Amino acid sequence: MTDNLFLGMRRVKMKSKRLTALALTAAIVATMTGCGGKTDTTQTTAAATTAATTAAATTAAQAETGSQAPETTAADDGFSYPMEPGDKLTIWWPLDTVIAARFSNYGDSHLAKNWQAQTGVELEFQHPPVEQQSAQFNLIMADGDYPDMMFYNWLGFKGGPETAIKDGVILELNDIFEQYCPNIMKFLAEHPDIDRMIKTDDGRYYCFPWFPNVGGEGYEILEHTWGPMIRKDWLDELGLDIPVTIDDWTEVLTAFKEKKGVKAPWTIWWTGTSAKRYDPFLCAYGQILQQYVGTDGKIHLYYGEDGYRDYLALYHQWYEEGLLDVDFASVSREDINYKILNGETGSTSMWSGVDMGNWYSMNTDPNFELVATPWPVVHEGDTPEFGAATVAYTGQNCVAITTACKDVERAARMLDWCYGEEGHLAMNFGIEGESYEMVDGYPKFTDLIVNNPEGLTIAEALCDYSLGTTSGPLVVDPRLFEQYYTIDAQKEAAAIWKNNGAVHVKPPYTMTAEENSEFSKLNGEMSTYVKEMTMKFILGTESLDNWDTYVENLKAMGLERAIELNQIAYERYLNR
Amino acid sequence: MKGQKRSFWARARKDWIRNRSLYFLMLPPILFYILFHYKPMYGVIIAFKDYSPTVGIAKSPWVGLEHFKRFFSSVYFGRLVRNTFLLNVYNLLFGFPAPIILALLLNEVRSRRFKNAVQTITYMPHFISLVVITGIVKDFCVSTGIFNDVVALFGGERTNLLMNPGLYRSLYVGSGIWSGIGWGSIIYLAALAGVDSQLYEAASIDGAGKWKQLIHVTLPSISPTIITMLILRIGQLMSLGYEKTLLLYNSAVYETADIISTYTYRMGLGNQEWSYSAAVGLFNSAINIVLLLAANRISRKYTETSLW
Repeated sequence: MTDNLFLGMRRVKMKSKRLTALALTAAIVATMTGCGGKTDTTQTTAAATTAATTAAATTAAQAETGSQAPETTAADDGFSYPMEPGDKLTIWWPLDTVIAARFSNYGDSHLAKNWQAQTGVELEFQHPPVEQQSAQFNLIMADGDYPDMMFYNWLGFKGGPETAIKDGVILELNDIFEQYCPNIMKFLAEHPDIDRMIKTDDGRYYCFPWFPNVGGEGYEILEHTWGPMIRKDWLDELGLDIPVTIDDWTEVLTAFKEKKGVKAPWTIWWTGTSAKRYDPFLCAYGQILQQYVGTDGKIHLYYGEDGYRDYLALYHQWYEEGLLDVDFASVSREDINYKILNGETGSTSMWSGVDMGNWYSMNTDPNFELVATPWPVVHEGDTPEFGAATVAYTGQNCVAITTACKDVERAARMLDWCYGEEGHLAMNFGIEGESYEMVDGYPKFTDLIVNNPEGLTIAEALCDYSLGTTSGPLVVDPRLFEQYYTIDAQKEAAAIWKNNGAVHVKPPYTMTAEENSEFSKLNGEMSTYVKEMTMKFILGTESLDNWDTYVENLKAMGLERAIELNQIAYERYLNR
Repeated sequence: MKGQKRSFWARARKDWIRNRSLYFLMLPPILFYILFHYKPMYGVIIAFKDYSPTVGIAKSPWVGLEHFKRFFSSVYFGRLVRNTFLLNVYNLLFGFPAPIILALLLNEVRSRRFKNAVQTITYMPHFISLVVITGIVKDFCVSTGIFNDVVALFGGERTNLLMNPGLYRSLYVGSGIWSGIGWGSIIYLAALAGVDSQLYEAASIDGAGKWKQLIHVTLPSISPTIITMLILRIGQLMSLGYEKTLLLYNSAVYETADIISTYTYRMGLGNQEWSYSAAVGLFNSAINIVLLLAANRISRKYTETSLW
């Protein structure tokens, strides 16, 4: 057989060899170019974080004592906007998905044009491709060719903002605030608790932050923007009450399953980081999928907590009974939309703004009615202790001035303008007479926004004039959300979702470079293990009887040390 | 010595004058390799350093083999190597012969129209982006997808197939065959087109049927192509792209799905541990080159065909 093979091989004529060689070359070239193309289309798994996402992820920090208010010394005599023309400044700005759908360059928006006209600074926006922000950011860091300003999560910078300042990436802003920024200084003097959040451990300012909810009277509407919701029409049809305790939920979901034939009675956006983090049933057992401040005032991590075990037990039971979406692990945001609109799901947890609004406007079922439900609790009469809550500052989305900035004064003054009276209205509501009118001191949106002649949704129309529903250097105004919510179910949601979650979410503490590197080594190993075991426990391929072994394994991987590192950083934060 | 050297330069100059245009033609590919394949190799050095982007490659502190030690002592080391290896072996074992079989089958088809239709249909998935391909696979695998419709038809229970570690490899390899079979068969069809028809006539006069002709004429004729392709394929054995796995897997199937390149990706881009992930990637490349050398050697020994 082999002899034959080679005999035959030698008998093959030259012609065929040449042909083959040609084809081979062609194939190789094609493969090479093919590979190049593939890399470009590859998507990162990084969750698509819209600003709304960040809003729910936004952690809370309570107004505690001990921090000192900065003195308002920034008094600029004789200065007025707009400034004299000068260098064009560049700003690196990852676009929110809602904005990216309308603008390829945010400089074309009315907001950006107005901002430039009012301050007198010419701006050039640089946008990384959506979902590639962190990769692009790292490229810029490696390259060393920084733009003048960068809009980024500086708290997520490896080693924290201190390292970014020390390594010569961004400027320390203490002197700059004092010299050029009367508006932000005034704001910080009025909010000493927030002042502590936006500083490093050694008291340095590093950015112009986004404040999604500074708290206080009138701001309740901003605090709870994400939470559980359920098909009210189905509840009415089955004669059931809105579920409160976990037992209620099991009963309701079972009814959905058995009487309505719903495929996935409960589903959640499991692939979205923040949605998974505040899973209502996880919160019911007093856990959040990241470090949190426990009722004992110490930092906890859910990995080995008893509450986490109870949550897994519940999900395992629901999975077996078909109450939990069997596809839960791969559910994307689009899947949720599809399942809700096609009646495959009876309840989920999402945003009252974008999601509830879209579902109401897109569904074809005339009876469709969705309402927010209170955060579930274990026992009847308990008040929800954990849950999603928006707080003043998390480190996400703030603008820093880099060391490469051509004109620090103009950059600082331009950013500071956003926190002043005029800028506040411009960043939240747009242009007076165009996107809003002042009615008795209340900025009321015009039809251009709330009833767009081109048929744009509120969110789409708003992003041209306002950064309030996405993010930017501004203090979000609750009056914006009062008009942003148009349906009753949306307006009621914030009150229904009331919970004490703000107290538990970790404040923006920072680890040193060494701590960070040690933590990420430990956590890198543990997080994979936890993710895997979580799935096994829920699917039942691993029995929860083995919970203790699981915890032992985690301890061997350094769980206690990992928590301790967080505790150290947290204590440093408290001592600021 | 000196005389020899001069004569070499003399010859080189003569050659240069005579073939100048050919040298110019060579220039772009050489530059391509230097710029995109050799120059980036400098970056590999970060596997031995504690790299920080702001400090730069040159100034980052040297840590030697620490990152390699960390990987070898990691709890995931064994599993990653096993998964990478098995997935590749299955991919090779089932994925490699598939286009050959398709090409042989197509070669026997007499109807031109049917042949063209089959070729076009099987090529098509190749031109669809990987992201879309995996999207399709995912949609097929969910509890309401087409595979589950079949399962339900026979009274089975609907489950998410992509959450079952036991099925992951089959799905991965199967979808790879589906999307690549048509494209892969082109080269074999070209080789088959070059087989001298006199050989078939001679074989049939000797009394060989279709099957015997296939074994004794067709396969030997295209065996150099097959072997060259095989060697190229083995060279890529451990270097499965992370893209497809990244798009397909989820934490429920890490047990069988997590491979070295996805681990590198998670560590590098997810945890920002550049140096560690560079070390893991370098380790992967080291295994690759060993496999390539071995395959080439075996091939040279037994088949007289080799890459060099």
